[in-house]
Order: sequence, then structure tokens, then C-alpha cells
Amino acid sequence: MTTIEGLAASPGASVAPAVLLANDRLDLPSGPIEQRDQEISSLEAALEEAAQQLEERASESSGELAEVLEAQAMMARDPELFEAARKSILDDRAPAATAIVDAGEIFAKALAASDSEYLAARATDVRDVAKRIARSLLGVPEVDLAQLPQPSVIVARDISPADVARLDFEVVKGFATEEGSRTSHTAIVARSFGVPAVVAAAGVVDAVEEGVVVGVDGDAGVVHVDPNAKLTEELELRSERRAQAQRELAFTDITHTRTSDGYEVELAANVGSLEELESARHMGARAVGLLRTELVFFDRQEAPTKEEHTELLTAMATVLDGGRLVVRTFDFGADKPMPFLEVTDTSDSALGVRGIRLARAQPELLEAQLRAIATVAGSGAKLAVMVPMAATIEEVDWFVDRARECGVVDAGAELGVMVEVPSAVFLATELAERLDFLSLGTNDLTQYLHAADRREGTLASLQDPFAPALLRAVNAVCRAADERAWVGVCGEAAADPAWALTAIGLGVTELSMGAGSLADVHAAIGATTIHDCRAMAQRVLLAESSSAARSTAQELLH
Amino acid sequence: MPEREVTLDNEVGLHARPAAVFSKAAARFSSSVTVVKSDAEANAKSVLSVLKLDIQKGDTVTIRVEGADEQEALDELVKLVEDL
Repeated sequence: MTTIEGLAASPGASVAPAVLLANDRLDLPSGPIEQRDQEISSLEAALEEAAQQLEERASESSGELAEVLEAQAMMARDPELFEAARKSILDDRAPAATAIVDAGEIFAKALAASDSEYLAARATDVRDVAKRIARSLLGVPEVDLAQLPQPSVIVARDISPADVARLDFEVVKGFATEEGSRTSHTAIVARSFGVPAVVAAAGVVDAVEEGVVVGVDGDAGVVHVDPNAKLTEELELRSERRAQAQRELAFTDITHTRTSDGYEVELAANVGSLEELESARHMGARAVGLLRTELVFFDRQEAPTKEEHTELLTAMATVLDGGRLVVRTFDFGADKPMPFLEVTDTSDSALGVRGIRLARAQPELLEAQLRAIATVAGSGAKLAVMVPMAATIEEVDWFVDRARECGVVDAGAELGVMVEVPSAVFLATELAERLDFLSLGTNDLTQYLHAADRREGTLASLQDPFAPALLRAVNAVCRAADERAWVGVCGEAAADPAWALTAIGLGVTELSMGAGSLADVHAAIGATTIHDCRAMAQRVLLAESSSAARSTAQELLH
Repeated sequence: MPEREVTLDNEVGLHARPAAVFSKAAARFSSSVTVVKSDAEANAKSVLSVLKLDIQKGDTVTIRVEGADEQEALDELVKLVEDL
């Protein structure tokens, strides 16, 4: 039995035999080979086969993932990649599998050397494609992720988007990866499907053999290789309890959660696609507190039309069946340069032309969204719309005017803003007078309050949701709103039960989070009273450090 | 061997989708198509080679074609880059 520490990336616990995605382990033959022509024609066949498979998978996917898969299909058909491999077969008598991996490496190295984050990411894609082709040439069976025979824990260096797309979440019980962070693709997918995950577990690939039982503790951030009987039992019990809780939630609706003394709080899910919403529905969510519309249309060349927005919102409203759907209008920024954005933003920072600033520069993008919201709300769905990055009263007035013009108010949809720019905290009284709700985007609000880039790992301590300045900002917004507007939270902070109880104690009445965390937050709310939350929150407000605030809040959980 | 200079005016240059669209378009012609940036050259039909040039917004590149349908290819590819 070995224990490996990593980062807790998705809550819950599970135990199951390991399936090793040994993407990096390939025994390449060294040659020299005799039949060069034969080697070249098998290479051609393998390239074509890989290209077709990738295209097929791309057509079954959507968004960013589809784009990555299409790019990989093009790489498999790339004439220069083929030429480089053909040359080493002809000149060096290299076996086709070795030749293609070497050729891929030449391009990968050149791309990885670039300053561009985008090109560096393509280096991984080329290596991935070259290895896929080599495996097919060598007859190494690909683990068919779509048809794992039994419940499994996936162990890998990292999991490519191509592989994640094929996973069957009925049988995938957990993830343990060597690399990655809380915001890597694997972590996000694991949280939205409610599968426990530990990432950045150094050494896990070497420590695990195929089929060995692995325990994933996604709460503590620990991987247990071949756990003893006692630990196995404990992890299984936790897994079973969670599964039980989720089964119950699947048939219930935890949107309206109550404290033990009957105070009601709305719980909702953060989603970025229809599939994610359907999965969230199975974890008890019947409301969406944050629909990231820019993720739905991430792969687009042309701006989405009103009809496309309407189709999406209608489908989501059907799944929610009467639950509230809070639509956040496009939050494209410098980090998401879409082909249809006309605005030139050279700042490459979180402080640039994004959110409502972009909407004012290209109002037709916002109007298509608002008109679709008016249409769907008009047909009886419970919709709300909020605009990101609002910083001034004038911007909010502009947004309210556009919403009225587009018929959103007449159709009965609620209007709100994301409170994520510190100026909005100070203007919360005026905003609450104009709007139905204020939704705190805690991730960005924390980064802007502390002037600390959230992508900068060394500044992680300034991104703590228990930071006294953030908690006081939440309090200030709740006091300013003073029940004229409801106050929600749609940042990652809401997924932490202790933080959620603090926010409720301060006056927040809606919490939206990755669906995988709903069960924990639901349970924590049911086990306490509003009176205790309020008393605790007042003590937390006095804390002078994040750690003091956190330990005060956590006392209420025990 | 006709050639023409063109300046990239779109946000992402010849990265991401624009690179893919460009290479796919080049591959439809029988002529050989070369993209030149400073001293570096790339086969336009190879998306990997195009990406390697790291062509960004504001860069000026030369598109050079040679073959049976060279004029048609040049016109269409220059227009494609200008319209990105």
C-alpha cells in the first residue's frame, strides 16, 4: 500500500481497479527495416485511419474539444509531417512507428519553443497524434475508453480532451493524474460529472500497475495505491453514501434547500453546455445560476444568431422544467479571441475590453442574446439575464435600456449584473435599485480586490475566498441590496460548505456551483440553522486573516 | 512564379482556425504554395508548417505559388487572408 499526495480536484471518494492510460509508454522498434516501400504504405494507411477516427470524434463533440480534434485530424493529414517520416524511413531505414514519432517530435519541439500559449498547446496535440499513429502501427491496443468492462479509476499523466470525450461516466469511478491543476480539463469535467479526482499526484503513473486497486480521495487530495482492507472499506462506505445521496438527489429537487429551522436558500449549477446541464440535473440541480454562454459558442466563426440562442435556451428550459435559468451574456475577453469580435484588445489581461465593455462596442452580439431571452421567457420559462464586468451605474443603465428595448422586461425575465469589479461593490445600493438581482463572481472579484492575477500560481494565497476583504465585500453588497434585490454567488467559493454557510449568514440567498458539490453544500445547510449561520458570519467578518476566517466558519460544520 | 505580399489584420493571425482554413484552402490547388515570413518558408498545405511560422496580427507575409492553377490559387488565398 502506497499513498501519494496531490491536489483535491473533484470531491468524493472511490475505490476501483486502475485503467492505465499509458500515453507516454511506447516501446518503439529501432530497425533497420528491409521493406521500405511496405513501411511507407502502412504509414499512409495508419495516417488516414487516424485522421478519419479523429474527424468522426470531432463531429460527435462540440466547442473547444471539437476544435482540438479537428486540428488533430488535420495534423494526421499534414503533408510535411508525412514527408519527414517518409524521409527517415527511406534514409535511415527507420520503422514507420519510430519515424512518425520522431517526425512529430520535430514539429512539437518547434511549436513548444514559441512564446504563444496557443502554439505550445498544439505541441501536445502533435505528440498525441504521432503516438496514436505509432500505437496503431505497432498493433498496441488502444484502451477503448468508451467501453471499459468494469468500474475503473483512470490513472494517467494527463488526460487529453480527445480521451475525455469518450469516457463513459457510468463506469469511470475516479481520476488520478500525474499532472494538471484544479482548472485543467480533467478537473473541470470530473467536477461537472461528480466523479472524484486527484490531480498533480507526482509519481502516480509509476506507482500503479494496470488492474491494481486504487483509492481516490477527492476531498483530501490523496491517492491510495493498493489500499488495505480497512481503508478500502472506509472509501467504499464514503463512495456508497455519496452515491446514495446522489441517487436521492436525482429524483428530488434541491433547488429549494432549507436550514433545519426552515430558512430557504436556492442552490443552482454553473454550466457551459446542454450536456453539462443534463448531468447537473442528475445531481439534483433544477436551477442554473450561471450559464456561461461564451463556452457554448466557443467554436464559432460567425456570431451566433438570435435563433441559435433561442434554440439553446429553449432546450435548457425544458430540462429545468420550471427552475430558474440565469443567463450570463457573453464574457469573451482577450483570452478568448473569437473570429467574430471586431474589438481590438491588446491588453491581454483581465482588465481589458470584455463583458459589458465588449457588448457596448458590438451591441448586436448582446441584442441577439436579449431578444432570444425575451422570446423564451415569453413562452413561460423562468429566465434571468446578467451582464458581466459592470463597473459603473451608467453601464448598468445602458444594459437595462437595451433589455427593455429587446422585450426582456415585458417578457418577465429578471435583470441582474455580475458583481466582480470592486467599483460595483461600492455602487451596490444604486445597482439594487435598478435591478432584480446581484450575483457575486467571487473568482474575479477576489483577483480584482487584491490586484493579483488568478493565473499566477505563486499568488494563490491572494485568491483565497476566505480573504477578509472579499467577505467584507460580500457583506457590503448584501447590506446595500437590503432585500430590494436578491444576492447570489456564482464563483467557486460557493462550492465550499463552510464558505457557503458564511455567505448565507451574510444574506446571500442563492448559491451556484459546479454540480458535483451540490450534495455537500445541501447537506451542510440542512444540518444548521439560519440563526447559527448569522452568528457565525458576524464572527467571521471580524477575522483579520483568511485562515482565521476559515477556521471560524468551519466550526459550524462540526 | 507569381507572388504577393499580404498583411495579417485579424486578431489571431495565422493561428487556430484561420491557420486550418488557410491550409485546407491551399490544399485544394495543384500548384505548390509557399508562405514566407522574414527568412522562413513554409508549405502552405501543411498546417503544422504554417503554425511553426507563428504568424501574428500585423505580420506581413509573402504567398508564392507555382503550378498549373497558380494565378487562381494566388488570388483566392490572398483574398482569404485579407478577409480573415
